Parts: sequence; C-alpha cells; structure tokens
Amino acid sequence: MGMAVLNFAVRFPPIAIVSRIDLPRPVMRWLSFIPISVMGSLVALEVLRPGGVMANPLTSPYLWAAIPTAFIYWRTRSFLGATLTGMVLFVVVRAVFSAILGA
Amino acid sequence: MPIFLGYMPVGMAFGVIAASVGFTVVQAVTCSATALAGAGQFIALSVMKAGGSLAAVLAATTIVNLRYVLFGATMSPYLKGLTLPRQAILAFTLTDETFAVNIADHRQGLSTGTAMAGVGFVAWCGWVLGTLIGASLGSLIGDPARFGVDFAMPAMFVALFVALAEDSRHVRIGIFAAVVALALPGLASLGIPIGSSSFIVIASITGATVGAIVYRDEEDSHPATTTPHHD
Repeated sequence: MGMAVLNFAVRFPPIAIVSRIDLPRPVMRWLSFIPISVMGSLVALEVLRPGGVMANPLTSPYLWAAIPTAFIYWRTRSFLGATLTGMVLFVVVRAVFSAILGA
Repeated sequence: MPIFLGYMPVGMAFGVIAASVGFTVVQAVTCSATALAGAGQFIALSVMKAGGSLAAVLAATTIVNLRYVLFGATMSPYLKGLTLPRQAILAFTLTDETFAVNIADHRQGLSTGTAMAGVGFVAWCGWVLGTLIGASLGSLIGDPARFGVDFAMPAMFVALFVALAEDSRHVRIGIFAAVVALALPGLASLGIPIGSSSFIVIASITGATVGAIVYRDEEDSHPATTTPHHD
C-alpha cells in the first residue's frame, strides 16, 4: 500500500539520522514543544472545527463532550476510560442539544 | 496495557467507518496493519468519502503525517544506541498515541528501547484487532455515528493533550498553537494560500518556535517530574 510506504518514509529517516548526532540545546528545546503544539492544534481543529467547519461553541457537542473528557483523563490517566466515556458523553450531549434546539 | 485498550475503540471506529465507505473487512484490516497511521487513516477515509482521487488521498495523508518527522526527531535522542533495524521497527509503530506514552515513560525514567518496541507492538495489535472487530460489526450495526464514533478521535486527542501538558509552559504553548490552528482557516479564507491539510503542521511549527524563543533563558527544557529542585 502506498500509504504504508509513505508513512514509513516520513517516520524512519529522522529517527535514523538524528539519533546519530548530538542536537544543540536550542534545537532540543524547540523539539520539546512540538508534541504539545501538535496536540493543541489537533484538538482545536477536531473539537472546534469538526468536519472542517467552525462549529458554534455554545451548541457544539464536540466542545461540551471534550471538556469532561479532558477532566476524566486528568483524574484517571486512562486513555480507554477517557475515550469511551467521551464517546458516551458525546452521544448524550448531542441528544440533549438536538432535543432542546429541535435540530 | 492501557495503550492496547486505548487503541481498540479507535481501531474499531476506523473499521466501522471504513466499512461504511465500502471497504471490505480484508481491505480495512490490511490498511490498518500496514499503515498504522491513526489520524491519517481517518483523513484518507474522509477524502475517499468525498470522492477524492488516489493522488488526493496520498497527498492529504502525507501532509498530515509530516508531523511524524517532528515526532521522530523528538524521540530520536532517546533512541541512541539502538541498531538501525530496531529503529526501523519503532519508526513504523510511531503514532500520536505511542509517542505520548513513550515520552511519558521517558520522563519517569522508564523508557528503554525494548519498552518502546513493546508499546509499539501492543498499539499495533490493538489497532489491527479493533479494525477487524469494527469492520466486521460495521455492516451489522448500521450508522456508526449513533454510537459516538465521530468523537473517538477527538476524545483520544483531548486525552493525549492532557497527557503531554504537564507543566505550565507546555500548557501555554499548546493553547497558543491551538489558537494559531484556529486562526489559519481565517487567513485561508482571506485568500492567503494555506491548504487545510497544512494547518496542523504550520500551527505546530509556530507554537514550538515561539516556545523555544520565549523560554530560551531557562536551563533545561525537559521538566523534572520527580524532584523539583531550587538553585
């Protein structure tokens, strides 16, 4: 599959090359902020622009399910628990909103 | 084994959605087994659903997966001393989720090459098995959206954000990157040529750059998780 080859091509070279040289401290500092930045932008786009369209934050089940999901993960440190509870909350919030708004 | 259990529902979600787009069970499982791309696979599905060409699908997944260059480079200092084949295996199993788990392990001093390979293997098993179950069930349960499948990826990303946000500098930079990510579609609509598939890459690079500049005076960018010391 093309996707498999591309995935691998993108992931392997940085590991192979960069692990053989010493990175200067500023580069390491820059890299240390990459994961949180990627996750921050992923969350923002997935939660506030589901499907690539800006959702009204007040009535978006994505946002109102995301907040308790973050809290649940923070308290439990369980990816499974947070993901499944988040999905249940999402279904509930969506049902409540569509009942209230008649959408 | 949390990563296995964490991956299963997302793998299942992928399987269910893949089935709804017209994948056979074998196609869906093959896709998961060879690619292990997480978000990339979902994006590929949505492009296919919209009738995109193979080239469009490959372009979208490649750009989304560019963040693995950054992930890979971030991980690699921890991977010194491993042989090339072992690094290759780790590269294959590198995803948002395994990355977060490995970085968390490393901060607790638990991370070894073997542990990371274990995390990757377990994630792969969960992902493939989940896809198999999801794709098989997909034809039976009808509309997957009824079960909140739409929220499986966002929920996982939210949890990962919290997992990675362990000191205030990282929280601030994460939020800053989020704001940039949300501002980019606005710039794009003003006619500045930014493809929607590059929002994440641009926002991430901007966020990390600002973080590295703002916090350049601090000695160590890796927060000590065990004993805070005052000099």
